[in-house]
Amino acid sequence: MKEKIKLKFDFVSSATLDDKPKDNRINFILNKVKDGTILVTDGVLKPEEEIDLIKETMRRVDDGFPGIEVASLKKPTKGMMNVMERMVDSKERMQSLIAGLTGRPVERTSMRTGLTLIGPAKFIKRVKKNPNSFSVLTEI
Amino acid sequence: MPLNRLFDWFHALFGMRRSVRLGIYGSVNVGKTTLANRISKDWTGQEVGKASPIPHETRFVQKKEKIHIKHRGKNLTINLLDMPGLATKIDYRSFLKYGLSKKAARQRAKEATDGVIEAIKWLNNVDTVLAVMDATQDPLTQVNITLLGNLEARNIPVIVVANKIDKKKADVDAIREAFPQYPVVEVSALKGKNIGQLYDAIAKHSKGS
Repeated sequence: MKEKIKLKFDFVSSATLDDKPKDNRINFILNKVKDGTILVTDGVLKPEEEIDLIKETMRRVDDGFPGIEVASLKKPTKGMMNVMERMVDSKERMQSLIAGLTGRPVERTSMRTGLTLIGPAKFIKRVKKNPNSFSVLTEI
Repeated sequence: MPLNRLFDWFHALFGMRRSVRLGIYGSVNVGKTTLANRISKDWTGQEVGKASPIPHETRFVQKKEKIHIKHRGKNLTINLLDMPGLATKIDYRSFLKYGLSKKAARQRAKEATDGVIEAIKWLNNVDTVLAVMDATQDPLTQVNITLLGNLEARNIPVIVVANKIDKKKADVDAIREAFPQYPVVEVSALKGKNIGQLYDAIAKHSKGS
């Protein structure tokens, strides 16, 4: 008889992730995903954090954890909202640069509005993305 | 950017060559090394590295420095950086079907993960990027989105290269629709198709030093 494998989804508010400094946020996500959890949140990581997530994932790849699958949908911003978003990005980038130069802990950065799913690649076989939706194919 | 334009104007005025660290980025097996070899062979007669159908053949950054390009009256010196393929997952078991032993597959996977990290670190040291995509594949992958988002955040000029247009399944429009804000050049690195257009785009969009 085939062994039953349970798939666990954690729906985490972006506020919970926003409260964590950048490194802790990536640790939080990867600890969950490496345990086999699929994490869904109502926010989108910034591109710089996404690439840090990939980098940290690569450090943790082993025989039982081949990596992650990520899919995200960012709420499009236009006009003033777009300008505001860019201003916040510039401010946070400057804070991060100063933190790096002074050796102080990295400042918190806010997630963008949207939806993100991050899960273990050993269960998620494929993510099919469209501009406004994505579908996830799992195999357990 | 205005400062960059000023440098461009200054270089053009005195007929000087610009020097550009040109990074070739993209997912695994999209033809990055084949493209790097095509560019390098066109101007130096030498290849940069070995291309292979086995994923993650390039696991270290491969460099070819001081490639002097003279194209349609423009002079450009390129330090070409062929990057390991970016990925969010690397499973050593996926290499076994290519006939690799378990030990060799594990070693390849370990080197490949290090290669991804190295490629990401190099994002801080490139002037211009060729984001290579396989035109026969769905372009809306998280790797492509994350790569382009990071280049935009760093203000690094990017040219999207829709590669493998010699294949029947190639759909360049899908790439143009997915990333309408970027210049897209369609090429076949393998057959050398449209490479002249790529040199035009490199000369037009590159930020040098």
